[in-house]
Amino acid sequence: MDLMEKLTILADSAKYDAACTSSGTDRPGNTVAAGCCHSFSADGRCVSLLKVLMTNHCIYDCKYCVNRASNDCRRTAFTPEELAELTIEFYRRNYIEGLFLSSGVIRSPDYTMEQMIGTLHLLRYRHNFWGYIHAKTIPGASPELVRRLGLLADRMSINVELPSEQSLSQLAPHKKRQAIFSPMQQICLEEKQSRRELAVYRKAERFAPAGQATQMIIGASPETDYQIINLAAAMYGKYALKRVFYSAYIPAVEDSLLPALDAKPPLLREHRLYQADWLIRQYGFGAEELLSPDTPNFNLYLDPKCNWAINHMHEFPVDVNQAALEVLLRVPGIGPTSARRIITARRNGRLGLTELKRIGVVLKRAQYFIKASDWLPGARLERQTTIRALIDPKVYSFGMEQLSLFSDNPGSRPLPTARDVKSITEAVEETVLCLASSL
Amino acid sequence: MSGVKPLAVPVNVIYTYDGSFEGFLCCVFESVYSRELPFDILCEEDAPLMLMEMRSVVTDPEKAERVRASIRLKISGRALELAMTVFCSCLDHKELRMLEFLLQGYREGGKLCLKLGNAVMEPLLRAEKHLLGEANLLKGFVRFADVGGALVAVITPKNFILPYIARHFVLRYREEEFMVFDKTNRTALVYQDGKVEMLRFDHVTIPEASESEARYQALWKRFYDTIAIEGRENPRCRMTHMPKRYWANMLEVSDLVRPAP
Repeated sequence: MDLMEKLTILADSAKYDAACTSSGTDRPGNTVAAGCCHSFSADGRCVSLLKVLMTNHCIYDCKYCVNRASNDCRRTAFTPEELAELTIEFYRRNYIEGLFLSSGVIRSPDYTMEQMIGTLHLLRYRHNFWGYIHAKTIPGASPELVRRLGLLADRMSINVELPSEQSLSQLAPHKKRQAIFSPMQQICLEEKQSRRELAVYRKAERFAPAGQATQMIIGASPETDYQIINLAAAMYGKYALKRVFYSAYIPAVEDSLLPALDAKPPLLREHRLYQADWLIRQYGFGAEELLSPDTPNFNLYLDPKCNWAINHMHEFPVDVNQAALEVLLRVPGIGPTSARRIITARRNGRLGLTELKRIGVVLKRAQYFIKASDWLPGARLERQTTIRALIDPKVYSFGMEQLSLFSDNPGSRPLPTARDVKSITEAVEETVLCLASSL
Repeated sequence: MSGVKPLAVPVNVIYTYDGSFEGFLCCVFESVYSRELPFDILCEEDAPLMLMEMRSVVTDPEKAERVRASIRLKISGRALELAMTVFCSCLDHKELRMLEFLLQGYREGGKLCLKLGNAVMEPLLRAEKHLLGEANLLKGFVRFADVGGALVAVITPKNFILPYIARHFVLRYREEEFMVFDKTNRTALVYQDGKVEMLRFDHVTIPEASESEARYQALWKRFYDTIAIEGRENPRCRMTHMPKRYWANMLEVSDLVRPAP
C-alpha cells in the first residue's frame, strides 16, 4: 500500500479526536508558545498537528469507535520511518506545528506503545525535530513505557471516553477505569517531579512539558451535563489537566446501546460544555455554580454565563469604575481581555459607555449588568427585554431540529421546536416568553 | 481639553513625505515647529493632484532622531512602539492619526497610552491589533515550497507584517534558507547563511514544483480533505478563523477560490 493510501486511512480514523492544540511548550525554536493554527478544516476545526494513527488495527471492541475489532474496514499501519519523514517534510513546508500520534491497539498495549516510542525517537534524535508532539497513552501499557513516551512528547493524553464507569463497562468492555486513571495519575506525578528537577538542574529531563489532556464523548451515553462538568472539574483539580476536550458523538455504528445512526451529533450541547469549561478555567466559576442536581443540563438558548447572570440579578449592576477583576469577569459581555483593559483604563479617568465600547466590551449583553459614569440600567428592567438581548443566536444557526431532542428542561412550558414555529423572529419571541416564565 | 490652547491649528495644507518612518517623523517635526495640523499627510508616490497647497517634507535623519528621542522622553517607550507598529499597518490616514496621537501625547505625557478608551488612541490600538493578529495568522498560513533545497513562499497580507514574522521563521528554520515574498508591499524577507534581509522586488517567479515537492503537496491536500468530519461541516466557522483572502496562497484551499482551469 502506498503512502497516500495509508495517510488517507490513518488520518480518517484519527479525525474524531478533538484535541489539536500546540500550546504550552517553550522549547528553543518552538517560538509560538500560545499555539499556532496552520489551517482550518471544512468543519471549522483548527489543523495544527499532523493528526494520524500509528495503526488502525485494534484488538479492542469499543462500541462507539470506528476502529473497533468487529468493524469491517481496511487496516494498515505506518512504519516509524515513513511517519517520521512525513512529519519532517510537512513541518519544513510550514503545513503543521508537529505530530499528534494516537493508535489502535495492535497485538498488545505494550507493543503499540513501543511502535509509537520508536517513531518519536527517530523524529527527535535522527531528524533532530524539536517541534510539538502530542502522544496518546494506550490504556493498559506498562508504566515504564509511559515514562519513555513522556520524555519524548510535549503533551500526553489518555482519553476518559465515557463520563461514567457504568457506561465504560457497557460500551468499552475491554477498557477498565483503572487502566485509564492510573497512567493519568502517573503522568501527573512525573510531570511535577520533572518540574521540580528542572528548577534545580537546567538540563534535567523534561517530562511532557505541555502537560496532559483528555477527551470525553458527549451524547453516546446517558450522563447529564452536571455529571460531565463535575467530572471535568474534578480531573482539572486532581490530575492538573491542561484541557478536557468534549466530542459530540457522531453515530458510526448500529448498536442497540447507542443512539440511532441517523441521530444528529449534539453540537450545541458540546458548545455549551466548552463554554462552561472556559468559565471554570478562565473566569473563576465553580462547576456547582453553573449547574445543580435540579437543573442538570445547560440551557441551550442562553450561554452558561448569561444563564448564571439572569439567575443572580441581585448581584448586578456592577460598577465598572470600581468592581474587582473577579466581579467584572462575571458580567456577560466582558471577557478576560476587556476586563483587564477596563482595569488599566479606569486608573486614568472614569469610564462611560463610549469608552467601554472603544475598549471592546460587548454592550449588547453587558448594558443590562453594568453601571458606568454615564449609564445606569433601568431600575426594574423588564425581564423579557434582557432575555431577548441575551439569547444566543447560535441556537438557531445550529438548526432547530436539534433543540427538540433536548427540550426536556424541567421548566414549566416546553420550549418551541421547529414544528411549532414558522420563522426565527417568532421562535425568538416564543423562547423569550418561555424563558421569562421558567427561569 | 476645552480652555487649553491647542498645540496645533488646523490648516489647509497637505504634507508629502518619502514614505519612510524617518520621513514621517520629520512631518511631526514640521507640524510641531510650525504649530499647524495639516489637512492630511501623504506618501509622495501616491499623492494625487489636488487644489490644496502641498508641502513636501524633506527627510532629515537628524530631525527624525530628535523626534524619536522626544517621543521616548516626553511620552513613553510604549508610544514609540505603538507608532512604529501602526506605521506598518493599513490604517486609513495612518500618518494623520499618529500625528494627532503624538501631539496629544506631548501634552498629556505617558499616561495617554493607558487611556484605552480615548478617542485618539482607539484607531491606533485597533490598527495595531489588526496588524499583530494578521502577523499571528500568517505564522501559520504561510505555505513554503521546496525549490532546489531552499524554501519559498508568497503572501498577500493587508498590513506590512514581514518584520513581525521574521523572528518566528528564523528561529523555526535556523538551518535552512528561505524567502517569504510579500506581494502587496513588494518586499521579500530573505534568510541566507544565517543573515536576514528585507529586499524590495517588483515580482518573483517561482519555478514549477519538482516531483517530490508535488508529492508532498498532494499528500498534504489529501490529509486536509480527509481530516474534516462530514457530519460537522461548518463553512462559516472555517471562514471566521481563516478569512478567504488568504486562501489563494494556501495550497489546500486554493482550488476553492480559484478553480483549476
